[in-house]
Amino acid sequence: MDQYQDKILDHNYDGIQEFDNPMPGWWKAIFVLTVIWAAVYLIGIELNIIPRYGDDLKAGQDELLAMRQAHEKSQPKIVVDDAMLLAALGDADKLAQGKEVFLTNCASCHGNVAQGGIGPNLTDDFWLYGQKPIEIHKTISKGTANGMPPWESVLPPEEVVSLVVFVSSTRGTNPAGAKEPQGEKYDPPSKDSSETEKPDEKAPTPAEESKG
Amino acid sequence: MSEQESAAGAASTVMETVRYDDAIVRKFVLATLLWGFVGMLVGVVLALQIAWWPANVTQYFTFGRLRPLHTNAVIFAFAGNAIFAAIYYSTQRLVKARMFNDLLSKIHFWGWQAIIVSAAVTLPLGFTQSHEYAELEWPIDVAITLVWVIFAVNFFGTLRNRRTKHMYVALWFYIATIVTVAVLHIFNNLVIPVTGIKSYPIYSGVHDALMQWWYGHNAVAFFLTTPFLGLMYYFMPKAAERPVFSYKLSIVHFWSLVFIYIWAGPHHLHYTALPEWASTLGMIFSIMLWMPSWGGMINGLLTLRGAWNKLRDSAILKFLVVGITFYGMSTFEGPMLSVKAVNSLSHYTDWTIGHVHAGALGWNGFMTFGMIYWLVPRLWKRDLFSEKLATTHFWLGTIGIVLYVISMWTAGITQGLMWRAFDETGRLMYPEFVDTVTQLMPMYWTRMIGGSMYLLGMILCVYNVLMTVKSAPKNLEDPEFKVARPTWKTASSKSKEAMPVMYDDMLDSLSAKLKGGAHRALEGWPAIFTVLTVMAIAVGSLVEIIPMMLVDSNVPTIKTVRPYTPLELAGRDIYIREGCVGCHSQMVRPMRDEIERYGDYSKPGEAIYDRPFLWGSKRTGPDLARVGGKYPHLWHVNHMRDPRDVKEQSLMPPYPWLLEQTLDTSALPKKLEVLSMLNTPYGLEQIDNAEKLAMDQAKEVATQIEAEGGPAGLEDKEIVALVAYLQRLGKDLKDAKMLKGTVISETEVDANDASNHSRQASK
Repeated sequence: MDQYQDKILDHNYDGIQEFDNPMPGWWKAIFVLTVIWAAVYLIGIELNIIPRYGDDLKAGQDELLAMRQAHEKSQPKIVVDDAMLLAALGDADKLAQGKEVFLTNCASCHGNVAQGGIGPNLTDDFWLYGQKPIEIHKTISKGTANGMPPWESVLPPEEVVSLVVFVSSTRGTNPAGAKEPQGEKYDPPSKDSSETEKPDEKAPTPAEESKG
Repeated sequence: MSEQESAAGAASTVMETVRYDDAIVRKFVLATLLWGFVGMLVGVVLALQIAWWPANVTQYFTFGRLRPLHTNAVIFAFAGNAIFAAIYYSTQRLVKARMFNDLLSKIHFWGWQAIIVSAAVTLPLGFTQSHEYAELEWPIDVAITLVWVIFAVNFFGTLRNRRTKHMYVALWFYIATIVTVAVLHIFNNLVIPVTGIKSYPIYSGVHDALMQWWYGHNAVAFFLTTPFLGLMYYFMPKAAERPVFSYKLSIVHFWSLVFIYIWAGPHHLHYTALPEWASTLGMIFSIMLWMPSWGGMINGLLTLRGAWNKLRDSAILKFLVVGITFYGMSTFEGPMLSVKAVNSLSHYTDWTIGHVHAGALGWNGFMTFGMIYWLVPRLWKRDLFSEKLATTHFWLGTIGIVLYVISMWTAGITQGLMWRAFDETGRLMYPEFVDTVTQLMPMYWTRMIGGSMYLLGMILCVYNVLMTVKSAPKNLEDPEFKVARPTWKTASSKSKEAMPVMYDDMLDSLSAKLKGGAHRALEGWPAIFTVLTVMAIAVGSLVEIIPMMLVDSNVPTIKTVRPYTPLELAGRDIYIREGCVGCHSQMVRPMRDEIERYGDYSKPGEAIYDRPFLWGSKRTGPDLARVGGKYPHLWHVNHMRDPRDVKEQSLMPPYPWLLEQTLDTSALPKKLEVLSMLNTPYGLEQIDNAEKLAMDQAKEVATQIEAEGGPAGLEDKEIVALVAYLQRLGKDLKDAKMLKGTVISETEVDANDASNHSRQASK
């Protein structure tokens, strides 16, 4: 307190007086330091020593890419093909996971029990983009031109598979309030394990599809 | 004894009688209490609406429309009337002169209250310019300008009539307040009227954003900081009965504060499409602002040195000391949040809300309460009804602030971390935006409890003051004082100085004036002081604004960015009316998690037709810059009718009236005309046929909604315009990408290619 002599100045405003104390040393010191820091930062960013938004973004995204590649390498690669999906159908674990994923991500458009809403009914025999598991997988992964978003970047591959399992299971459930059919009629797959009567080239192209 | 009095003593002292106008101060005090209660009540309602969406009742009282009412009420009505009370009370006494003109005082008071009432009517009706703290539409802005000029004339007239030569530090802060608020208000409200209650700003996109936050930040500086520092410099030494700690510190922190504050605005726009050089300036000046702000805190707190014991018995000092402490805390937190890295976490979250409320409830509120409890017994000539109640108010308020601020810090940091979290597979940990909101519910309820406690304290204050006023004498007369007639401006001394014959005489006279130091002399020259203050705030303003406006490379053109169609424009104005911007940003920041969640980051060139810009400052819901084409039309219709229909956990209010109310297209030709005047390329044909064009597009949208299984007959409803607008958002940039390389600069395209996974994930 010695530095503050509390010498009263010859000022008087409505009885308010002022001391002639110096400014606190630490206050002046920090003020000067912030000014120096500001100058250093300004020069640093002008000379490209301090990273800018673009640099930070690039570094962050590179890191993310590396993370994804490392993860992909460490995982046994999931090869999604007809056989693999057909084998997965009916798997109880996958069905449960698929149902959960469906309720979180899909129900807002397809309804809580896949009865359809903004998006088509998934419980009838009519399909816009093909009914085979591999076709459903593609529709989910890549999205469609009619408003279905692509999910491959959002959902991990195993969840997409589970979703295919769940969607395949809802067929024929006849839920209440089901949306009217859209797309082409396919016979239920149950009568025959092979899908020979509907060859692949029959898969409709999105551009031709019009909503019902 | 002051120097002017001693100087006067040498000559023959003539005593004059001065009556201070305290009636006007009483009015401002009562208005402060009334609007404080209203503004805080609306605040608690808003807190409830976030925690419990059914509290959004009717279209006039949804969160989006009430939020600007809350901010305007607490800033301009509560804090505004408080600083007018402080200025009118202290200025008269500091210069020993009555207010310049009683009629001007009355016009100021009633004019300001009329403006507040008009705000309380127009904001729930959805009339807004959508600029934060500058929402009021153009006719009210004109009224504000007029009332402010009247206030300025009244104030500077009083300074001219002063009987003390030198101006005390409180007056410096009042001067800075009056001139800077005038400059800010005028330049941020330059708009072209479309109708009697609707306008478009002359700036668009990036420019509009810069101007708005130059204004918005400095409204905090010059409406909520400098006048309250002036208030502190008067009422703190009065209440503590101690001299101010350091005159030198007053000088240095005043000028550094005024000079530096004005630069800091762009820190509200970190990581946005605002060019980074402006952000950098905003950040470094915010850091340098730390000590100038703390200068005020030191001078306030250290004034109490040797008298800390008084704190125990005085509710007034408790309020003032805790108020100043919150000022110190907020002015440390502010510079910290302005650091880009910190801001990348805090921005758009509740951390910002916590920060502003530490300042508003702690600093502005508590300084006001301290002042009111000090003033009321003096203004109404009665002891305060209950000291105990005042102390209860203090503790309620303090605990309320602590609950408020801590819950918002927690909420903000939690949400900021959730947004940027990736799992080990390199995917967003919380791709569902709503998951990051439901997490915060306990914090939202805690905030509401804290806010309610603060409001309860306010109610106690109102009761306490009203009971005091009730027992006051009926005929309160203006207090009368005998003061010495100033000798420094009498005719004899003036004529002697006025005509220096010799050069030496001039030097002598100047050195006599500068005897107490150059600044001491300056304190005797209000006009020069005011000019220097204007220069101090002009430097930072011009250095940031002029290059931004004039240098084209700040906003590189994107050829696919087209003006809104008439229907989209109508939808955009509905978006503005409903205050969607209060909860939804339209600004994807250049961060990897935002690009994953929403899509490519926003470019300056995308916003060139945005008048006003709608980048937002808070995300209670997800960003919408890339929402166009993400969902089918029907999704939006269902979502607006009942958000929980498509997203069960949503806390958004429902907007069913959009499906019922007829879309008013009658103002569209005029709107297009005004926008084309502002260089939006609308052709004459488009302007003339605006209504028909809108109806044609409305039909298309309505047909599509019906085709998707939605209700029929929406083609003349407001929802169609809003859907058209929402579906347009971000579409221009997607178009640009289809022509990649040919229309936007290489750097802009390259920056996004690092991630091929940049898909939109959130709902």
